[in-house]
Amino acid sequence: MAVDQVIRATGLRKRFGAVQALDGVDLTVARGEIMGLLGHNGAGKTTLVNVLSTLTPPTSGTASVAGFDVAGRPDEVRRRIGVTGQFAALDEELSGHDNLVLVARLCGASKAQAAGRADELLEAFGLRAAAGRRAATYSGGMRRRLDLALGLVGRPDVLFLDEPSVGLDLPSRLGLWERVQGLARDGTAVLLTTQYLEEADRLADRITVLGAGRVLASGTAVELKARAGSGSISLRVGPQGDRTVAAEALGRAGFPSDVDDGRGELTVPAGDSADLAVVIRVLDAVGQNVTEIRYAEPSLDDVYLAFTATAPDAPAPAAAALDRPPAPAPARAAPRITLPEAERRTGDTPETP
Amino acid sequence: MTPSAGPATEERVPRWRPAGRAAQLRVLTARQIRLVYADRRVVLFSVAQPVVMLLLISQVFGSLADRSILPRGVSYIEFLLPALLVTTGIGTSQSAGVGLVRDMEGGMVRRFRVLPLSLPMVLVARSIADLTRSGMQLLVLVVAGHLLFGYRAGGGAVGLVAALALSTVVIWSLIWIFIALAAWLRKVEVLSSIGFFVSFPLMFASSAFVPVDVLPGWLAAVATVNPVSHAVEASRSLALGGQVGSEVTAALCAALGLMAAMTVLAARAVRRPPDE
Repeated sequence: MAVDQVIRATGLRKRFGAVQALDGVDLTVARGEIMGLLGHNGAGKTTLVNVLSTLTPPTSGTASVAGFDVAGRPDEVRRRIGVTGQFAALDEELSGHDNLVLVARLCGASKAQAAGRADELLEAFGLRAAAGRRAATYSGGMRRRLDLALGLVGRPDVLFLDEPSVGLDLPSRLGLWERVQGLARDGTAVLLTTQYLEEADRLADRITVLGAGRVLASGTAVELKARAGSGSISLRVGPQGDRTVAAEALGRAGFPSDVDDGRGELTVPAGDSADLAVVIRVLDAVGQNVTEIRYAEPSLDDVYLAFTATAPDAPAPAAAALDRPPAPAPARAAPRITLPEAERRTGDTPETP
Repeated sequence: MTPSAGPATEERVPRWRPAGRAAQLRVLTARQIRLVYADRRVVLFSVAQPVVMLLLISQVFGSLADRSILPRGVSYIEFLLPALLVTTGIGTSQSAGVGLVRDMEGGMVRRFRVLPLSLPMVLVARSIADLTRSGMQLLVLVVAGHLLFGYRAGGGAVGLVAALALSTVVIWSLIWIFIALAAWLRKVEVLSSIGFFVSFPLMFASSAFVPVDVLPGWLAAVATVNPVSHAVEASRSLALGGQVGSEVTAALCAALGLMAAMTVLAARAVRRPPDE
């Protein structure tokens, strides 16, 4: 099929009683692209996925997925999409193999084709050894893998991943991310909803920030970070050093600093990592010996706050809405000197039009 | 890879044509039967349930029942057993409804909604799978009646088989009541509490356990319009043998009419998006 934009939504609105869950959303996703959908609980992420995956019709606006209108030709759309979510949708009492065969049969495969496809996917998702066991006995990570495999049975053009890493431990999450990237490389478009900023940063080619049913911002992680403001430099001065003296010197040089006596750190806003050298020279000139220094780009946290704070009716950016994934270390806490993030995703990610 | 590059290797495999309705129903029914029989304990106890009903009701009501209120020459067990063939289905139907809600809450039915298949087929499959369990219950009931109470159908094998067949049709329609309720309500708690109000009057405000004429006037009126009464009368007359009258036609019409209405309601209900 010669459609490059495999998801194309224009002016999508969805109202549930008094709640305007989607309020005019435009979105395009290209073949092979991973689009991250970021937002608070209640921002409209899941509703958008439900509309695009034909679960619920839009109140107004249009959307086509894999070349077919979601409201007019839902069955054609369903042949071409895969959906996997935070709740594993599978039969607990059936084995992994039988779950896959069931879905393949319903997709129209013959018995032999279904068995073949099941074996392929079990192999690809590291479930071969557990193929004959009831899904009820699977661990959380295995269930999620089976769930994803079930979403891929029909070789979808578009994959919807609704908060895929909720409740996954770190190795499972990393494994999942790798598979998703592999799928995108093979040409599958992926729409990923997440509250985990790190996940969007790691996986998505482009990110759309939703708030109160509207698109607040959209672009690559790097673009969004640039729009969210500057990065920062944090440093410590040596035991003989004096944070007050250091702060004054930096202030004169145009780096207004925050002094955190509790942590013994100074933090200054910085345009980019080239400012590291400038800061060290300034401090050297006043006899302050820098023992630790690091540069941090604006994080997606900042991005998220910057855009969601401006959303009308957006809930206060409470801690709950900004949950980080429980296990992985955020980019900031990394090495002592963090250079600006190089392109994390290298290789053959498609150009975004 | 650029967006305009050809489809990935995997996608060169031609996409399957979605299964037709008949094939969907076959696959879904096979799945549902496996699920209904997945837990041996559930099967064992649900099949034993009507036997408990038979024992208790025959002893509790049978000890009270004055022979004179029963049709001439009919023992209480002969009166009761054909009725139990019908009323047994009420409990089974309720558990079919609960099972469907559970299925819809999480699990595979969530996925079925985004597969190219006809959702009402999921319900038909469910009704068939539950009906097979009811069939087993009916057979166990007849065998238990024979072994424990020396039950013999006055209408002979033909009458008994006819009573069983009619009961099966009636139970199928009862199952559809609860499938429709389940598809609308979608909450186990709500379904169970409403289920009580549906199932108890259906079962007891009927001619199942005592003849209608001994009931107080208002209850007799309710029992007369209760479709379960018609089914019970029909099953009884088939099993007892002798004159088979309009009861059978009435029971079948009521069951088929009910089933038609409920399938339409259920099909509409199940298509409703999950979050509305």
